[in-house]
Amino acid sequence: MSGTAVRYKDSVQPVRTDSRDIDRRVAVLTGEAADQQASGTAGEHAQKQAEVWRNLPQPEANDPTYYDRPLLNEPVWKWAIPTYDYIGGLTGAALVLGAAAQIGDTASRERLIRRCHRIGFAGVVVSAALLVEDLGKPSRVLNMLRVFRPTSVMNMGAWILMGSSVLAFGAFVLRPRKGRLRRVGQFCGYAAGVFGAALATYTGVLTGNTAVPLWQASRKILPILFGVSAMSSVGTLFELTVESAEERRLTKLFGTVGQTAELAAEIVMERQAAVVPRVARPLHRGLGGFLWRSAMLLTGTGLLLGLTPRHTRNRRIVSGLLGTLGSVLMRFTVEHVGTVSARDARASFHQQRAGYGAAEVTGRTAAVL
Amino acid sequence: MAETKGFFTDTTLCIGCKACEVACKQWNQLPDDGFLFTGMSYDNTVHLGASTWRHVAFIERPVPLTPQHDGAFSWLFSSDVCKHCARAGCLESCPTGAIVRTEYGSVYVQPDVCNGCGYCIVSCPFGVINRREEDGQAWKCTLCYDRLREDMIPACAKACPTESIQFGNLEDLREHAKERVRKLHESGAHNAYLYGATAEDQPGTEGLNAFFLLMDKPEVYNLPPDPCVPTKKVKDSWLAAGATAAAMALVAVGAVLFGGRERV
Ligand code: SF4
Repeated sequence: MSGTAVRYKDSVQPVRTDSRDIDRRVAVLTGEAADQQASGTAGEHAQKQAEVWRNLPQPEANDPTYYDRPLLNEPVWKWAIPTYDYIGGLTGAALVLGAAAQIGDTASRERLIRRCHRIGFAGVVVSAALLVEDLGKPSRVLNMLRVFRPTSVMNMGAWILMGSSVLAFGAFVLRPRKGRLRRVGQFCGYAAGVFGAALATYTGVLTGNTAVPLWQASRKILPILFGVSAMSSVGTLFELTVESAEERRLTKLFGTVGQTAELAAEIVMERQAAVVPRVARPLHRGLGGFLWRSAMLLTGTGLLLGLTPRHTRNRRIVSGLLGTLGSVLMRFTVEHVGTVSARDARASFHQQRAGYGAAEVTGRTAAVL
Repeated sequence: MAETKGFFTDTTLCIGCKACEVACKQWNQLPDDGFLFTGMSYDNTVHLGASTWRHVAFIERPVPLTPQHDGAFSWLFSSDVCKHCARAGCLESCPTGAIVRTEYGSVYVQPDVCNGCGYCIVSCPFGVINRREEDGQAWKCTLCYDRLREDMIPACAKACPTESIQFGNLEDLREHAKERVRKLHESGAHNAYLYGATAEDQPGTEGLNAFFLLMDKPEVYNLPPDPCVPTKKVKDSWLAAGATAAAMALVAVGAVLFGGRERV
C-alpha cells in the first residue's frame, strides 16, 4: 500500500523510509491513521510550506499574527472546479432558456429548443466528468448521493446536478418524439429549466459558504455573479455558433442582459470586499488583481463590441470569443483570489475584528482581548 | 449517549515539549510531514494538517506581557488541536455524511466514506482539517475515538507532563477552567481568559469542545477572534441564488416572447 523513499541521499548513511519508520515485519498498522497512504516524500510537500518562512515577519503588537503564517488551510481545488463552475453555469442557463422557449407557439423556435437541450445534455455529462476528475474516481461522486443533507451546499449541488442530468436527458431524447413521449419530453424540458436555474447559481452559494475571507465577504454577490455570468456564457456561445437571425436576436437579448449584469456584479463584488481593505487585497494586487481586471476588460469589450450596430459575422465572432473568455477567466480568478485570501491570516482577523465574523449574525463579537 | 468529552488546553502550563505531538503521531501511526527546519522559533511543525493533529505553537516576541518579567520579551506556548466545534463547519459542509458527531460529542471523519471533495477544508474557520496528497482524503484529530472506546484518554492528554492538556467531561472542564482563570487573575495575571469555552464565549461556533486558556489576543496564537461556522450565514446566499434564478427565468421568458421578432 505505501511506497518508500530514500532520505538523506547524500549522507554516509541514507535511510529508506515509508514516512512511518515502523518495522512492518514486527508491527501491524491498526491505528486510526493506518489507512493514510504514505509515500515517504512528504518532505517535498513540506519544502513548499517552508518557503513562506523564509521572510521573517516583524511582530506587530497591534496587528499580531503567528509569524504571518496562514490561519486557514487553502482550497485544494484544481482546474476542474472552476471549469465545472463555468460548464455547469452554461448548462443551467441553457436549460432555462430551453424551457422558456417551449412556451406558447414553438414552431419557429424548434431549432433553438433542440440546441438548448443538446447543450444541456452535453453539459451535464461534461460536468459529471469534471467531478470525477476532481475526486479521482467515479464511485466517489456517488458517495454524495448516499445522503440528503440540506446543510451541505455541495450535497445539494450533487442532487441538483443529478436532477438536471435526468431531466436534460429526458428532454433531449423524448421531446423530438411524438405523442405521449413528446409530452413527457416537454415536461422534462420545463423541469430541467427549474433545475438548470439552480445549477447555474448554487456554485456561487457553495463558494460563498466558506471561511475563506474574500469568498465569505462575497457570499451574497457570488450566486448573482455566477448566475448572470451563466446567462452571458449562453449568449456568447450562441454568438459564436448560431446562424439563424431570429434565434440570435433572442439569445443575444438573454446574453446581453446577463453580460451587463456580470460586469455590474463584478464591480459590486469588489466594492463589498473593500469594506475591509485587507479582504479585497487579492483583487487589487499581484496575479489575482491582473486576472480580475483582465476578466472585466474582456467582458466589457465583448459587451461593447456586441452592442455596436452593423453586426458583421467577424465582429460577432470576436465579441463572442471575448465574452466567453471573460466569463471563463472570471471563474478561474474567483478560485485563485480565494486561495490567495486563505493564505492571508490578517484578512480573516481584520474581517472578524471589523464585525464581519459571527457578530454579523449574533450581533456581538466574541473577542475578549 | 456518553457525556460530551473534550479538551481544556491551559496554555499557561504548556512548556513546549511537544510530547503531545509525538504521542499523537505514534498512537495514530501518522506518517511524518517531512523533516523541515523553519529557522524560526522552535516550531518546525508549522500548522495543523492531514497528518498533524496536534501542533505546538511557539510564540517568541519582543513584546512585553504580564506577568512575564523579562523586559520587552515574552514567550507563549500553545498546543493547538481540532476544536470539535459544537457547530462544526467541516461537519455541516460534508456532502457524503463522512463527518459525523460521535457519542462523545466529538467530530469524526469516517475514512471509508470520505470522498475527498475538499469542502470541509475551506469550511473550517480554524484551518484544521486538510487533505492528503497521496490518498486524496480529508483527515483530522479524532479525539482518539479508538482510545475512548477502550476507556482510555486521548494520547496527547496522557502524554502531557504538565497537565496543560486536560481531558474530561466538558461540563467539569468548564468549571475547572473558570476556577483556573479566577486563580490566575488573583495572582496578577489579569490577561488570562477562556477562548471558546461556551456558546456565549464564541457564538459563531456555539462553543468548542476543545477550548483554551489564553494570555494574549487569539491572533497571537493563530486563532480567529470571532470565528463563525459558514452555514450560519448561508441563508443570504441561497436567497441571492433564488432571486437570481427567478430573474434568469424572467429574462428568458421575456427574450422568447419579445426578443425573437424583428429588430428590438
Ligand atoms: S475545528 Fe475545524 S475540523 Fe475541527 S470540528 Fe471545528 S470545523 Fe471541524
